Amino acid sequence: MAFNFNWSPLIADTERVRDMLTNSLNKSPKPPIIVDDILVNELNLGSTPPSLEILEIGDLAEDRFRGIFKMSYSGDAYLTLKTRVQANPLNTFLSTKPSFASPQPLAASSGLTIPLQITLSDIRLSGFVILVFSKQKGITLVFRNDPLESLKVSSTFDAIPFVRDYLQRTIESQLRTLFMEDLPAIIHKLSLRLWSQEHQTADIQEPSKAEYDGPAPIDPFASPAQQPLDAQGDPLEGVAPFTLDTPSETYASFSQKNLLRLAALAESQRTLSLFTPGMRDTVYRAWANAADRGELSNGASTPLNRPATLSRIQSTLGSHSAGSSSAPSQASDSLSQATRPSLATMASAPTTYTLGSTSRPRAARKRKNRIVDLRKDRGEKDASDAASVSSGYAESASQSASGSANQSMPATEPSSLPSSMFRDGEVATPPRSPRKKVGFQRPASDAGGRAAADSTLRGRPVTPRAQNAAHVDQTADDETPRASLYLPEKQQTRQRNDEPKQRGSRQALPRMQTLPVRPKPPTFARSSSEVSLRNLAPAAFAIDGQGSSGGILEQAWMMKMATEIARRVAEEKTPQGRLWRPGSDDGQDATGGREAPPAYAS
Amino acid sequence: MLDFMDYVQAVFHARTRWDRDNSYASLTTAAHNLLDFDIPHGMRLHVSSLSSSNFATSYTLGAKGVVDGSLSFLYTSLGLSLPHRSSSIHLQNLVLGYKHLSEFEQVSEPRWQDLWRHSKKDERKDTLLYGRLYLPTSTLEALYLRRISPNRIFRLNCVSDGSLPNGGSVLATLQNDFGKYSTEFLYSTDSSLLGFRGLYNFGYDPRRTDAKLSPRPPAHPWDHQGGRLSAGAEAYFSPVNKSAGISTGLRFTTLPVHSGFPYTMTLTLNPLMGNLSSTYAVKAGPDVAFCSRFDFNVYSYESGVVVGVELWQRKQSSLDTMWARSLLRPEWTRAPDDVTGVLKFRIDNQARVGLLWESRLKELLISVGGGFDLRNRERMLGTVGLEVSYSN
Repeated sequence: MAFNFNWSPLIADTERVRDMLTNSLNKSPKPPIIVDDILVNELNLGSTPPSLEILEIGDLAEDRFRGIFKMSYSGDAYLTLKTRVQANPLNTFLSTKPSFASPQPLAASSGLTIPLQITLSDIRLSGFVILVFSKQKGITLVFRNDPLESLKVSSTFDAIPFVRDYLQRTIESQLRTLFMEDLPAIIHKLSLRLWSQEHQTADIQEPSKAEYDGPAPIDPFASPAQQPLDAQGDPLEGVAPFTLDTPSETYASFSQKNLLRLAALAESQRTLSLFTPGMRDTVYRAWANAADRGELSNGASTPLNRPATLSRIQSTLGSHSAGSSSAPSQASDSLSQATRPSLATMASAPTTYTLGSTSRPRAARKRKNRIVDLRKDRGEKDASDAASVSSGYAESASQSASGSANQSMPATEPSSLPSSMFRDGEVATPPRSPRKKVGFQRPASDAGGRAAADSTLRGRPVTPRAQNAAHVDQTADDETPRASLYLPEKQQTRQRNDEPKQRGSRQALPRMQTLPVRPKPPTFARSSSEVSLRNLAPAAFAIDGQGSSGGILEQAWMMKMATEIARRVAEEKTPQGRLWRPGSDDGQDATGGREAPPAYAS
Repeated sequence: MLDFMDYVQAVFHARTRWDRDNSYASLTTAAHNLLDFDIPHGMRLHVSSLSSSNFATSYTLGAKGVVDGSLSFLYTSLGLSLPHRSSSIHLQNLVLGYKHLSEFEQVSEPRWQDLWRHSKKDERKDTLLYGRLYLPTSTLEALYLRRISPNRIFRLNCVSDGSLPNGGSVLATLQNDFGKYSTEFLYSTDSSLLGFRGLYNFGYDPRRTDAKLSPRPPAHPWDHQGGRLSAGAEAYFSPVNKSAGISTGLRFTTLPVHSGFPYTMTLTLNPLMGNLSSTYAVKAGPDVAFCSRFDFNVYSYESGVVVGVELWQRKQSSLDTMWARSLLRPEWTRAPDDVTGVLKFRIDNQARVGLLWESRLKELLISVGGGFDLRNRERMLGTVGLEVSYSN
């Protein structure tokens, strides 16, 4: 992606800019030494354009744009100002003092006004620029820091050091306010004239109307709330999703080819393989949203959905161990390799089922988190605390790469996905929601404690307690539609075991999503300056919840991957756990349910 | 028109026999009074009172857009018995017009000596304290005035205002008046401004008892026998700002002994900034005075001219005493009639006009004025104001 800045027309049209500069320079109260209006006599933008380095693009569309640039300028622009100054220092000194305690000189303070021509040249600028453009609101350009690095002021009084220094100081301070306050207003006005016709006329009628009114005018349509949030910034359950992009429209782009590509891309990021398939015309919104998520996890109030996912992880592992109990043949890795394909195919039906029962808000949230996962994974591959999961990832990756049987899965499953999604309305969601709520409503402290407990448990692959927890889950969910399926007893139990597994694996999504989120934020920022920027203007960054608008493609693929991975992890854990601790099963239902697995807290 | 407090201070100076005109700062007083008079702005009401001979209070209420006001108090160790009722104060003492300089009194003057002989015994060094608080802005002005010796006065001006750097400033002034010459030393805490003023009077030296004004009439109008030639200079320096300023001045004014119409000529020069200013004030008649000032800058060629006139309205003498007045010989000194009103007018080369009418209305002293800009057709009327003063 490239931006083509056309510098030369800017040089040509300096008339209006000059007028605006004149206005803005005369607006603020002038120091007493300047006794006349400041006129911008000459303005030349020079032939060297400023260099812009794109740090971040928050939003990009045909009619809107938001980005952060690092701007540096060391061109040959110059500016000539004309004014008249009071040359008598005693006059300027006494004019600001109360007359009662003034010595009231007879004639020593008589004024001598001198026309002064000031040339500002060798302007060196360097700063972070936040540029927001929307067709309705025009261009808003804000400097995050003081961009003025150095400046050469040459004037009529260069021979007198006192006056020269004074002028240098005064003009620098004036310029700083110009850059920080007036320039954004000028650019805003100009852009309004350029783009919107109604503003054009309004501006002509009332020139002072379009004043600069805030650090960065917020365009509500440029960054819609992708998901209803409560006061703490957590996604609300049961509220109709409020998203601008309708996922149903993107189904058309589903194709095996695309999915395969995405899968390959993601796999390549999970391994250390240097091969990255080229994805053309791709904008990674996840990257743009990194700031947002980073801030979320930085914030004092951690989102509540983290505890929720923790609880889900626990149940997931438990269910998987339960599932594996019915399939003792998977005790070893090598064995499971062989059996896995069949298991996977079996799981496919419930998978689609659970997907279909997913309520919209959840889907939206998941999408958001999943995006995090994409890059997080890469950044955190060697993180020790995620060892178990990453090992699972790696294995699944290698499996998908090598195992021919597994290869077929991505191909077959996605095709069934759309239909399962459409089943949304038919499936009764209520039975699911209570369990989810339990997960969500768990206090954060509880979750933290559990997380700590989980970390201790982590060393042991699987505990029987987790298994029990899974059973609890299972019994709680009797109303699930699986009852409608009439199966032989044995098969039903199998199905039963599978079903929580699938559900768990579906719920495992948030786990792998949140996992990356937490450690990422400060370290992942591309540069320290960016972090400081964000700290400077949290509000500006909070605006963009863009990251949550990941494509449906990603969503579908990620769901699949999550299902697969979670299953793998569970499968690998359970046999070992079985081997280590065959004995302990019941009797610790309540505690086991609470204490269960995931060690991602650290 | 003089503020009541300024009036009391003027009386204090007069009673302690301090000649404020013998200073470089007041070199151009005549022209200043005629040309730079203050035009009231908005409505203003002064209520003043001299509750005892030592204590005076004054309250001011103003309304120019916003209501503001001030409270002022004055204490003097010297008991002042002065006409303080607004109906009894002579308007000549309140309205500053063309100023006649008086002859120097000799040091050996018996009254003068008496005053200070007593004071030496009683250690009576007259002091004046004055404070003024401006209400909405919470600005406090304070003045401490002390006659520390017959030819020396100390003055301390303080301003306390939160908006000022360092919260305010203090100006200390020490003045010496030896008749023949006078010196003045200033120090301002604002950037440590140091100042010096000096004035030298040519000719008659009041310190020498043998020197007598020659009784002969002046040979020509600028004969300094009938007038006084003074030269002075001032210099300021601020070590903090590294800024300085100087000016020199020359004045010739006629003394009462002068037979023709009284006039005053001054020439001030600021050699650093190239400013040249000359004034000429003349009292053409008993009730009319003219003044002009020409400013020129030799560096920037900026110039300005101001012309002003002053008209005094006097109470018509009653017909009952007309016959008696007509019998008075011209050379006899007669008490001037009471002034009922003064009209001042000025216009400069920028076509800016100032107009001021000050008079007495029953018990009140009224001052009405306005500033106009004849060139600016849209906003010709600049400032208009009305001041009403009452004192008891």
